Amino acid sequence: MLDLLVIGAGLAGLSAAVAAAKAGLNVRVIAKGQGVTHWHAGTLDVLGYLPLTDAPIQAPLAASQTLPPEHPYRLLGETRLRDALAMFSDWLAASKLAYPSSATPDQNLWLPSAVGAVRPTFLAPQAQLAGDVSRPEPMLIVGFHGLRDFYPQWIVENLTKQGYLARAAFLPLNMINELLERNNVQLAEQLEPPSARGRLAAALKKLCQPGERIGLPAILGVNEHLAVWQDLQTEVDAPIFEIPTLPPSVPGIRLYRALQQQLMAAGGRIEMNMEALAFKAEGQQIQWVETATSARPLKHYAKNFLLATGGVLGGGFNSDHTGRFWETIFDLPLTVPQDRNAWFRHQFLHPQGQPVFSGGVLVNDHFQPVEQNGTPVYNNLWAVGGVLAHADPIRERSLEGIAIATGISATQGMIAQTHAGV
Amino acid sequence: MKNLNTEILVIGGGSTGTGVAWDAALRGFQVTLVEKRDLTHGTTGRYHGLLHSGGRYVVKDPRSAVECIHENQILRHTHTQCIEETSGFFVVTPEDEGDFPDKFKAACAACRVPCTEISAQEALRHEPLLNPRISRVFEVPDASADSFLATHLTAQAARQAGAQILVYHEVLDLITEGTEQDRRVLGAKVRDVATGEEFNIYANMTISAAGAWAGQVARMAGCTVNIIPGKGVMVAMNHRVVNTVINRCKMPSDGDIIVPIHTVAVIGTTDERVSDPEKLRIEPWEVQLMLDEGDKLLPGLSKARVLRAWAGVRPLYQEGFKGESRDATRALTLLDHQSRDGIAGFLTITGGKWTTFRLMAETVVDKACEQLGTRKPCATETTPVPGIEQGHYWLGHRLHEVEENRLQGELICECELVTRGMLEQATQRNPTITLDDLRRDIRLGMGPCQGGFCTMRAAGILHENVTLGMQNMKASPDAELVNRKSQIVNPEWDVAYMQSPAHNATADEVAPSAQHSALSTPNLLLRDFLQERWKGLTPVLWGQQLKQARLDELIYLSILNSDHLPDADTISPLTDFYHFDGGTSREAESDHA
Ligand SMILES: Cc1cc2nc3c(=O)[nH]c(=O)nc-3n(C[C@H](O)[C@H](O)[C@H](O)COP(=O)(O)OP(=O)(O)OC[C@H]3O[C@@H](n4cnc5c(N)ncnc54)[C@H](O)[C@@H]3O)c2cc1C
Repeated sequence: MLDLLVIGAGLAGLSAAVAAAKAGLNVRVIAKGQGVTHWHAGTLDVLGYLPLTDAPIQAPLAASQTLPPEHPYRLLGETRLRDALAMFSDWLAASKLAYPSSATPDQNLWLPSAVGAVRPTFLAPQAQLAGDVSRPEPMLIVGFHGLRDFYPQWIVENLTKQGYLARAAFLPLNMINELLERNNVQLAEQLEPPSARGRLAAALKKLCQPGERIGLPAILGVNEHLAVWQDLQTEVDAPIFEIPTLPPSVPGIRLYRALQQQLMAAGGRIEMNMEALAFKAEGQQIQWVETATSARPLKHYAKNFLLATGGVLGGGFNSDHTGRFWETIFDLPLTVPQDRNAWFRHQFLHPQGQPVFSGGVLVNDHFQPVEQNGTPVYNNLWAVGGVLAHADPIRERSLEGIAIATGISATQGMIAQTHAGV
Repeated sequence: MKNLNTEILVIGGGSTGTGVAWDAALRGFQVTLVEKRDLTHGTTGRYHGLLHSGGRYVVKDPRSAVECIHENQILRHTHTQCIEETSGFFVVTPEDEGDFPDKFKAACAACRVPCTEISAQEALRHEPLLNPRISRVFEVPDASADSFLATHLTAQAARQAGAQILVYHEVLDLITEGTEQDRRVLGAKVRDVATGEEFNIYANMTISAAGAWAGQVARMAGCTVNIIPGKGVMVAMNHRVVNTVINRCKMPSDGDIIVPIHTVAVIGTTDERVSDPEKLRIEPWEVQLMLDEGDKLLPGLSKARVLRAWAGVRPLYQEGFKGESRDATRALTLLDHQSRDGIAGFLTITGGKWTTFRLMAETVVDKACEQLGTRKPCATETTPVPGIEQGHYWLGHRLHEVEENRLQGELICECELVTRGMLEQATQRNPTITLDDLRRDIRLGMGPCQGGFCTMRAAGILHENVTLGMQNMKASPDAELVNRKSQIVNPEWDVAYMQSPAHNATADEVAPSAQHSALSTPNLLLRDFLQERWKGLTPVLWGQQLKQARLDELIYLSILNSDHLPDADTISPLTDFYHFDGGTSREAESDHA
């Protein structure tokens, strides 16, 4: 019998599963598909802007405790948040995917985006770090003619308007590949053979002036990423940084693979294409969750269940034209108004976000889903990440922070509470 | 002030106005058309997509039905590539029985609308999703039609005949002389919306084809035209659930037509009197009504993914009419202000349908000839617009061209198969102030992701071209040369092929010009287009489409941080319009609270 069934293979589910597996639990992850990790920027955002005022945040850990009391970060408290992030980056480092923080302790990094805005994040992959706008070196942003997701002049124009030194340059795309499709992942794979790296390095060396750092679209290899990035830096003899592009996200895929590796190494399993369709509970105790794959039903029995299906984007919630909005597996109580008139604002980029996206599952500070009156809905169910109420992770730039910290913390709490597998 | 003189001034760049410009230019008049936004900004760009056979009106409004079938047959030859030969069914659902179907059949015969009764089984063979409980089906020559393309082509045909088409030029006032009883319109005071420049256009004859705004224009001449603005809501489904136009066989009502158009199927519509043609807000109940009614034709429709909703306002007119807008006639109306109001040099053409725009143009230009004392015969009936050699539109044509020419790597909008070359050519040849202009030109952002990916790409490409163009300019001080080059590199290019990936495989070199000033503000282009898409999405966001909207947030907030770009305060002439109801963003927010 499983100690823990994790539903959802996004950052929240994987963080929980790795923590459980490393603690010796028998854990399985089931998921309909890969989570948002394949789409996001690959950075670990903790908190970038305050939800009500949109004020930029420099010290996210401290600021997290100024949020409203129901916010997941307040349920966690600063210590649990800090510890979880530290644990998570240790795992990544063990998979040779280092995620350093800002040189100034506890401060956000500010990194250029693919349109030249400056985005706040807390931990970034090593290969994005040299983009930090507080560094003094002028930036050389290099694009490839015909690459549809990266426009160096636009980036440079916006960086310049914000007072940063930057200039743009182009290389021909066919120096990387001759493919018809120009998918970022394919391009990244094309850069892995040493010959391709060498060609790119030589071209960059010609473009780059002494003292400059070079920004490139995030396509510097997938599995061989570290080697590609290090070789380029050595041969060009300049700091090189990646700028994340539109999905699919190469840095996100690297992150996913590192976590997957950590999970396997600790004895956990991920099973894809498994959509949870039904469950059975006796009293307050969930017995099993059922999936249908290859046309046969499969019951997953476990002692504990962890819901990490990721809100609207992950498919954890669904809704219809009558204004009904529900959690797809357990039909848990939600804070979202059952009225479409109350879901949106008239402005897409409204600083306070769309109300529908900050609704979700109500939990206690163990991250157990609760009824309105605070009693747990089930004794052996936990909910983490994007499904949680009272946060809009995309708007606040807290997507990865909430996922990782609630995933790890809920699991640790669950272990402590049930003594399972210890 | 650079005042202009012309023989005929046309106000309005919808189907009617461009039709008038085309007709008058073919007859040899010197013509200038002014449109306050882009072509098809008005009702023409917000209609249902149906080339009417007339079937819908045979019982209730036979005059309009006769006009429709007459024009239906002509437009197939003059605007071939804008029309997809879908055919149309009038189906009798269990709710629609009674004597209407027989009346319908008889009225089709009386109006000469070809109509064949086919068995319900046969209809279901063609359209398996149709309600299996339908009892009778009549087939008529309905078709689906692309009004964006058709209007562009009509405008292009007018240009080729010598007309001048000025988009983003708004009529502020009409210039009149004379007394209350004996007045003449001499032309119009116009503002270039992009530059703010104001000037006068003097004309022997001013023709108002301002659609639902015709009342406003008439007021500038000092007379009253009571347009009955009837708002209609349409809902686009993510799939082409039918390949035939499906009508309910009953008196025209709400939500009783489904039109397959390009990759989607559109259900509509409603008819509600509104106060202002720019108030296009859609309420959830209106969408709900469309889906509920749609279920009666195609059971289960309301569970399918919905892409987008929009509304248009009918320019209905009936002298002295006081009833519901649904009951006002759809026949065309020519207002001769000389005999009606004692105002010379001014005509209004209104009412009608998209289907009858050519006839409307012919009618008003005939009257203009009469008043100007010349006799020039109409030529539009037998003169096709450019590009009809492409044949009727068919669904797979873009994919076919992309594959034949191996253009996969050039795609910037995977949903609608828009290539970089198409985008560049369309921008180069048509004034572009917003990305929405390109949506109308080449269907950018119209597919399932509603601009999620292509907004960033389009803004980036346009900016890149302008920047590179300016660098070229600096390198070669001979601006004339650069300009000329851009005109001759691809002499075959024509608006007629604007939507064809194959004909836009290689882009011309781009020359910067005044019209491109908007393109050098990519941050604004991006913001405007995201907001424009949002406006049409909010009425239909649930289920899959809500998930899509959240992905768009992930892209534009989390990955790109585009809500914290410089120049956050710059606005375009359309920014306020994209914030609901044409009000300012601030007003819209406070009425939400
Ligand atoms: C919901 C709905 C569905 C419809 N479906 C169909 C259908 O399926 N088939 C069909 O045949 N017909 C249909 N119609 C009718 C058809 O769309 C209209 O009859 C037709 O598009 C009207 O075209 P127009 O050129 O007269 O008006 P418009 O397209 O509204 O053009 C008027 C133009 O004048 C411009 N203008 C206004 N004021 C000024 C000014 N001061 N200065 C400069 N320019 C100005 C406006 O910007 C606008 O572009 C539908 C109508 C509605 C509302």
